[in-house]
Amino acid sequence: MDIVTVDRLQFAFTVMFHYLFPIGTLGIAPFIAWYVYRASTGDAEADSIARFLTKIFAFNFAAGVVTGIPMEFQFGTNWATFSAKSGSVIGQPLAMEGVYAFFLESVFLGVLLYGKKRVSPRWYIASAVCVWIGSWISGYFIVATNAWMQHPVGYHVTNGTIELDSIAAVLFSSFAWWQFAHVIVSAALAGGFILAGIGSYYVLARRDESIGRRFTRAGVIVAFIASCLVIFPTGDRNGHDVTINQPIKLAAMEGLFETTHGAPLAIIGMPDVANKKLIDPIVVPRFLSFLAYGNFDANVDGLTNYATVLWPPVELTYYAYHVMVGFGTIFLAASALAVLLLLLKRLEGTRGMLWALMLLMPFPYIAIEAGWVTSEVGRQPWIIYGVMRTSEGVSANVNSGEVLFTLIGFLGMYFMLGVTFLYLVLREIGLGPAHE
Amino acid sequence: MSDVAFVILAFMIAVYVLLDGYDLGVAALAPFISRSDKDRAEAMHAIGPYWNGNEVWLIAAGGVSFALFPLAYASAFSGFYLPFMIVLWLLMFRGIAMEVREHFPSEIWHAFWDTAFSLSSALLILLFGVTIGNLVRGLPLHASGFFLGTFAFLLNPYALAVGLFAVAALTEHGATFLTMVASGEIAQRSRAAIGRLWWIVLALYLIVTIFTLAIRPVAFARPWLALVALVSLVAFVLLRTRLSGESRVAPFVCSTVFIASLLVAAVGTIYPYLLPDFGGSGGLTIYAASASPHAMVWGIGATLVGLVAVSTYSILAFRRLGAPA
Repeated sequence: MDIVTVDRLQFAFTVMFHYLFPIGTLGIAPFIAWYVYRASTGDAEADSIARFLTKIFAFNFAAGVVTGIPMEFQFGTNWATFSAKSGSVIGQPLAMEGVYAFFLESVFLGVLLYGKKRVSPRWYIASAVCVWIGSWISGYFIVATNAWMQHPVGYHVTNGTIELDSIAAVLFSSFAWWQFAHVIVSAALAGGFILAGIGSYYVLARRDESIGRRFTRAGVIVAFIASCLVIFPTGDRNGHDVTINQPIKLAAMEGLFETTHGAPLAIIGMPDVANKKLIDPIVVPRFLSFLAYGNFDANVDGLTNYATVLWPPVELTYYAYHVMVGFGTIFLAASALAVLLLLLKRLEGTRGMLWALMLLMPFPYIAIEAGWVTSEVGRQPWIIYGVMRTSEGVSANVNSGEVLFTLIGFLGMYFMLGVTFLYLVLREIGLGPAHE
Repeated sequence: MSDVAFVILAFMIAVYVLLDGYDLGVAALAPFISRSDKDRAEAMHAIGPYWNGNEVWLIAAGGVSFALFPLAYASAFSGFYLPFMIVLWLLMFRGIAMEVREHFPSEIWHAFWDTAFSLSSALLILLFGVTIGNLVRGLPLHASGFFLGTFAFLLNPYALAVGLFAVAALTEHGATFLTMVASGEIAQRSRAAIGRLWWIVLALYLIVTIFTLAIRPVAFARPWLALVALVSLVAFVLLRTRLSGESRVAPFVCSTVFIASLLVAAVGTIYPYLLPDFGGSGGLTIYAASASPHAMVWGIGATLVGLVAVSTYSILAFRRLGAPA
C-alpha cells in the first residue's frame, strides 16, 4: 500500500473513533449544567440525574482524552511535511485548545466528580458551567483548525512555507463559525437522543420511571430543536459555503456529473464514475439549484467541468452525504412526532414511540460520522484546500510498513477501548441514576 | 522572541514532568508499598482527581510546540515515529486501567488492571527519559532538519541511563507525593521507600551527570549551569535529611526542586538548539524552527495569558477540593 493511503486510513480511523467521545461530552455537558442548577434549588431527583450524567460524561471525557492525544501527535508523526509548513497557522488554534479549553474542562470535571461535598453549591454550579463551556470552546478550536484546512484564510506563502498574517481572520472566519454551529447542534441532537433513549428504556423496563420520564421529556425537546437547527440554518449555511468555496465537493455530494441549469436533487441513485452518470436516480427536479443558489433555474457546476485529478472519491462522498441527510430527515420526523405526543400528554404511554426513541440512540453517531466523511473525503485531493495536496503533506522519513503496523496497533487498542467503554457505560445505565 | 517561546515551552514541559511525574511515579511505586487490594486502591485514589488534568499539560505543551516551533515539532514527532506511537499506546493503556479498575467488582480484575497500570506507567517514564537523553545526546539530523530515529540509535547506553534515572527519580517523586497526601501505613511505607530509592537515585544521578559532562562539554562553558547543579544537589541532600522530620510536605518540595533543576540543566545544555545534531556541534536551533513572526507574537501572548488563567483557576479549584494542586 502506498504511504499516502495508509496515512489517510490511519488518520481517518483514529479521528472517527475519537469523534465518538466528543459527541458524548458536547451533547451531555449542557444537560449536566442544567441538572446541577436544578439540584441546587432543592430538586433531589435532579441531583441523582446530575451525578449519573457526570459519570457518563467522565467516561466519554477519559476516552476522548486518550484517543485525542494521538490526533495531535499524528500531525507530527504522519503529516510532518504538512505540519512543518503550516504549523504557524494551524498550530495556533490547536495550542489555544489545550491552553484555553482543555484545562478548563479537566480541572472542573475534577471538581464535579470529587467536589460535591467539598465545595459550595455556587462553586459546584460554576464548575458544571465551566465544564460545558470548556467542552464547547474545545470543539470550536478543533473545528476552526479543520475549517482553515477547508477554506484557508489570513495567510501568505513564502518559500513554500505558510505564514500567518491574521489570527483574527483564522479564528473569526464565517466558514469556521457555521461549521462549528453545525457540529455543536448535531452534538446537541445526539445528546437529546441519548437522554430520550435512556429515558425510554427506563420507562419501558418499568424501573426508575420518574427519572426516565424526565429524561424522555428533556431529551425529545432538545432533540427536536436541534434537529431543526441542524438543517436550518446551520446545514443550509454549510451547504452555501461548500457551493461557493468547494464546488467540486458539492458536485460529488450530489452525484452531479454534468453542469446543469435547474439541477435536480438526487434522493436515491448510485454514482457510476466510469460512465459519469447517476444510475437509477429518483430526483426532485430543479431543487438542487434552489438549495445551492436560492433560484430554481441557477446553473450548478458538474464534475465533468473539472479535471478528473481534482475529483474527490465520488462514491464515498455521495453515499456519506446521503446517509447524513437521510438520517437528519428521520431525526426531525421522529423528534417532531415525539414532541407532538408530549404536548398531547401521550408520550409515556405510546410504547411504539418509546421503542423508536430507544433504538434511535446510535443513529446520530452514524449521521455525524457520515457528515465528517462527507466533509473530509469530499475535500480531497487537498489537505489545505487549493494550497497543498494531501500527498504532499506526509512524513518523508516514515515508511508505509511502519504506518500499517501502527494502524493495526490502533485497531487493536481501540477495539479494547471500545469494548471497555461500552461495558462501563452500559453498566452505569444498568445500575441506574438512583444508584449511589 | 524565539528565546521567550523556548522558555515557555520548557516551562510547560517541566510542569508536565513534575505533575504527571508524581502520578506516574505513584503508579510505578504502588506494587512495592501495597500489601492488599485496599492499599493499591488508596494509592490510586490519591491521584484519581489529578491525573487527567496533569496529562492535559502534555497535550497543551504539544500544541504550543506545534504553534511556535512547527519544524521541530514535525521533525521530532516523525523521527521518533515508532517510539512515540508506543508512548501513545501506553498512555491509552494507562488511562483505561486507571478509569476501569473501580468498576470491575473482582480482586483478580483489580490485580490485573493495577499491574497494567504500574507497568505501563513505568515504561512511559523510561521512554520519556530515553527521549530526553537522546535530545541531550543529539540526533542524526539531515540538512532538512528531519531525521530517522532507529531503535538501535535511540536505545544507546546514555539514553538508557537517563531513562532509568527518570524511572528512579519519578518513582521517588511519587513516593514523596504519597507521603504528603496519603495517611496511615501507605504514608509510612512511602516514606520508607524514599529512603531506599534515594540511594538508587544517587547512583544514577552521579552516572548521568558524569556521562552528560563527557558528551556535552558545553556545560563547562556555562557557569550558571554549575549553579543549577548546585541547587539540584542541595535539594537532593535536603530530601534525605528532611526525611526523618515530621513534615509531610518537605520531601515533596525537595523532590520537586530536584527534578525541576535537573530539567533546567538539561534545557540549558541543549540551548539554543531544540534538536541538537549528534556528533556535530550544530543542530536545529530555536531560531530556524520558529513559526512566522505574527504567529510567534500571537502564540506567545495567547499562551501566556492562558497559562496565567489556568494557574489561577486550578489553584483556586484544587484549594477548594482540599488537596494540594
